[in-house]
Amino acid sequence: MILLTGGTGFLGAHIAAHLLEQGEEVILLARSKQGLSAADRVGRLLDWLGVEAGRKKNVRLVEGRLDHPGLGLEPDVSASISREIDEIVHCASSTSFAERKRPEVEAVNLDGLGHVLDLAGRSRCRRFHLVSSAFVAGLGSGLCLEEMVRPSAFTNVYEETKCRAEWLASERCAKAGLRLSVYRPSIVYGHSETGRSLLFNALYYPVRTALFLKNLYETDIHERGGRRAAEMGVRLDGDGWTVMPLRIMAGDGAGINLVPIDFFVRAFGAIREEANDGGLFHLVNSRQTRIEDIIEYTQAFFHIRGISACSGQEMEGKPRNALDAVFETYLEAYGPYMRDRRIFGTERAGPILDIKGVRCPELTSDIFKKCLDYAVQCGWGARLFPE
Amino acid sequence: MVKADDAVLKTAAQCRHYAMCKIDYLGTGLCPPGKRYHYVSYYPQGRMDLYAALADNLIPVTEGLVHIAETCTMCGVCDLQCHFVTGLRPLKVMEALKDLVEDYLKTGGKPVSIASDEPLRRLRSIVGTEWATNDPAVLVTYANDPFPLADMRMPRYVVLPGTREEVASVVRLANELSLPYAVRGNGGSVFGFVFSEGIVLDMQRMRGIAIDKDNWSAVVGPGVTSFELQQEVFRHGFRINTAEPAATVCGNIVCTGTFSTWSYAYGTAADGFIDMEFVNARGEIYRLNDKQAPNVFAFENAVIPAPGICTEATVKLQPTTADEDGLLVPFWDFDEAVALARELGRRRIGLAVAVLGVHYIANFMSPSKALADRLKDVLPESLGIRYVVFAIGDRYARESIRQLAGPVIDSSLWRTLTLGLPRLLDREWQDLVKGFEAGRPPYEILIRPEMRPLIEAVLRPSPETLAGAVEEDLRELYAGLYSQPRFTDMTWLNMFRIVSSRMSRRKHMFAFLVYVPLDRNDVINHINAEFARIAAAQGIDHDFGFLTPMDLGKRAILEYDYYIDHTDPAERAKIGRAMAEIGPWLDGLADRTKGVTFLKYVFSQGCSRKENFLYR
Repeated sequence: MILLTGGTGFLGAHIAAHLLEQGEEVILLARSKQGLSAADRVGRLLDWLGVEAGRKKNVRLVEGRLDHPGLGLEPDVSASISREIDEIVHCASSTSFAERKRPEVEAVNLDGLGHVLDLAGRSRCRRFHLVSSAFVAGLGSGLCLEEMVRPSAFTNVYEETKCRAEWLASERCAKAGLRLSVYRPSIVYGHSETGRSLLFNALYYPVRTALFLKNLYETDIHERGGRRAAEMGVRLDGDGWTVMPLRIMAGDGAGINLVPIDFFVRAFGAIREEANDGGLFHLVNSRQTRIEDIIEYTQAFFHIRGISACSGQEMEGKPRNALDAVFETYLEAYGPYMRDRRIFGTERAGPILDIKGVRCPELTSDIFKKCLDYAVQCGWGARLFPE
Repeated sequence: MVKADDAVLKTAAQCRHYAMCKIDYLGTGLCPPGKRYHYVSYYPQGRMDLYAALADNLIPVTEGLVHIAETCTMCGVCDLQCHFVTGLRPLKVMEALKDLVEDYLKTGGKPVSIASDEPLRRLRSIVGTEWATNDPAVLVTYANDPFPLADMRMPRYVVLPGTREEVASVVRLANELSLPYAVRGNGGSVFGFVFSEGIVLDMQRMRGIAIDKDNWSAVVGPGVTSFELQQEVFRHGFRINTAEPAATVCGNIVCTGTFSTWSYAYGTAADGFIDMEFVNARGEIYRLNDKQAPNVFAFENAVIPAPGICTEATVKLQPTTADEDGLLVPFWDFDEAVALARELGRRRIGLAVAVLGVHYIANFMSPSKALADRLKDVLPESLGIRYVVFAIGDRYARESIRQLAGPVIDSSLWRTLTLGLPRLLDREWQDLVKGFEAGRPPYEILIRPEMRPLIEAVLRPSPETLAGAVEEDLRELYAGLYSQPRFTDMTWLNMFRIVSSRMSRRKHMFAFLVYVPLDRNDVINHINAEFARIAAAQGIDHDFGFLTPMDLGKRAILEYDYYIDHTDPAERAKIGRAMAEIGPWLDGLADRTKGVTFLKYVFSQGCSRKENFLYR
């Protein structure tokens, strides 16, 4: 029996589906949210993931709160879980980069983990799987090994708390005699074969922004005379393409490390199966995607011209318009990931994944198109589930 | 006797008694019979009460009621006036009241004629036949307020004196006949203090305003509202510290002293006036500037009676400059917002300053409750704004604030955001705005100057865009209102306070006001937390209201608001239990904390020197 937290999130839901496919019995810790009961949230996710009815019987839902001591469980429920579980997969996480949300990010990523470790410590469970992030490596460049790290600085509160969470889990698991596996994915996007995804941030956000701006100014041109479009230098080319002058400071970094969700799940499964003694594992792409390539894919997909990647030097001294400013803002948050000079070593994960034949695909224009087709079709997440 | 329509009755029962239908604050004109007959019964507010009273069989169809119903012209002014601040549509109540009376008469009903009696004859001999009555259709509109902890108290007479001498004569007559009396201002009574089983004096007819430019003062009659006085002095290039727009100037001074965001610069209580005239309990006229006058400038931390009936106030006029304008400094953290407000106070920067919560901002901006509710969620969640420091100042002050605080929402951006509000809340735009966030809150990005063209393109701000948020039949009227620059002018809105009643759009508001030491964030946070805890324990909607620095940032006035449906007995019980807890807690806190004074004890002592209650 496996206890899974974060089963209603992007990674957690996919892990839940994977575990069920493997014939595991899973206890899902979930809560009601935004007017939906925990059961409804889990139910529609399992449907979305295509989990067969027979497998769904192996799911037991427990309503709980990660941010409450004892996970907000009644003592008898907690005791029963403690007696049953063999493994814990802790996937729940706040992925906010917002410094103003530090208290809630810490509450989820650290206090919440602490509460799960409390339960682990008094249970019969012997394995603890922690889904972390490759970016616990913090600010810096060069080779990042699959080992515990203490960087001097982080890009944001998310990275910092994930790093602290690894240390917390490491210390507590060692004390409790639990084997700890830490999974460190880079940036996860949709399914490389189907394009399906539950989350549309990171890679998707700038692409969606470009589409939003294109639509905004096209509407201005078609319906309101195009004054505002002209202010931004946006115009329609005769061939149905839109010219939208926009400079994105791509820097001269190596690009962005992206892994599709299907790779993440298969890699997780392989390591869980093979690495019984635990350890730290980077689930990353050996080839980073260049910003220039994402720009090219985006322009081709949405029929846009005029977006260019610039170096900091090229941008310097030139006035920025609102469109430049929007992307500059985005880069303030995601720049360290888009101009990543870190190389994530896979000395542990690599051999396991090789043996199991798990390979991370490069983000090609074809995969990009599938992912964006799906994103647009589901309204960037607004129409993921049937009404 | 009469059959009321449930839906109409529901609207009638929701009247908050804010008296916004008694002032022409939208420039649409006033309810014609109200303007002519002055009794509140002739205004939409009174007619709402009358409909509810008829439904409850509290009153018969009297001759007075027939006159009140028949004089309604169905002009519709009240529908826009009321909707603008409360979201209610009273016109259907006006129509239903007319219909009820008409049906009653058509079916052979005879209006009840109320016999005069000796006290009424004597009252009429003082004020004139038209201005004193014992008709229940008038009395009942002076018998109740949304204050849920006081029962209805039906007066025997309502009197509208026209001069100080008449006021004095009425008081002497009341004494002679051993009749209790109470004087009413214009708005709702927060604590139910303005009712009487005897005589209610309504000062509506005493509406004189005389401006003395050379003495920087205006002499004001007790029937003059804050809005009307501000309008008049503004015409002459001045400003007064302002109360709620429909509150009478004299009543407001006597009650709590006038406090507002302008109290930051203009002070409160005795700071606001030069002299006042009263009729005391013996029916004698005196002025505060008499050497023999009672010392109303002192303060006692207790509930004590008012110094009399104010029949005139000479209030201070304040100078204005042509370059005044408003701005907002957004904050996520309350303590940081308070720190800025305190700093502005210490440095004497600006004319009006307040820390506002999102409930206020959302309601100030939104012409509908639905929009306000959404904005209230979006401000913190998507934009990272939980508080703003609002300030009015000249260009030097505004520049200083920018230097102190960094990015601000200036008046131009405020106008853009207001007029484009429905689109600001579009889900797709919200998702994108949220994505801006990392180390800095999204609002910082949105308010960058280079973002303006994009924001303009996204929001397409216009009176019509904003008007799209209200019911279809009101859109043209709203578009007309918002095409007037003053409706999005932060200085004008803050001077005239016409949108402040929107705070109560969701439910009747219970405002708790406390003077606090501004250098004690621990005390301020404790007060907010305790108000929140008590409300949560009782299941009462609640929100931080505002905090305005006073006296160079040494003290401040803090408002915390509870919201209840005053027509729901269960909600009344909740507020009763909450108040039973709040009183002793605040008394204890005030006893041991310098600078804390519960405004409840300033009631009726609004003429006192502020120093006497700020520095006890």
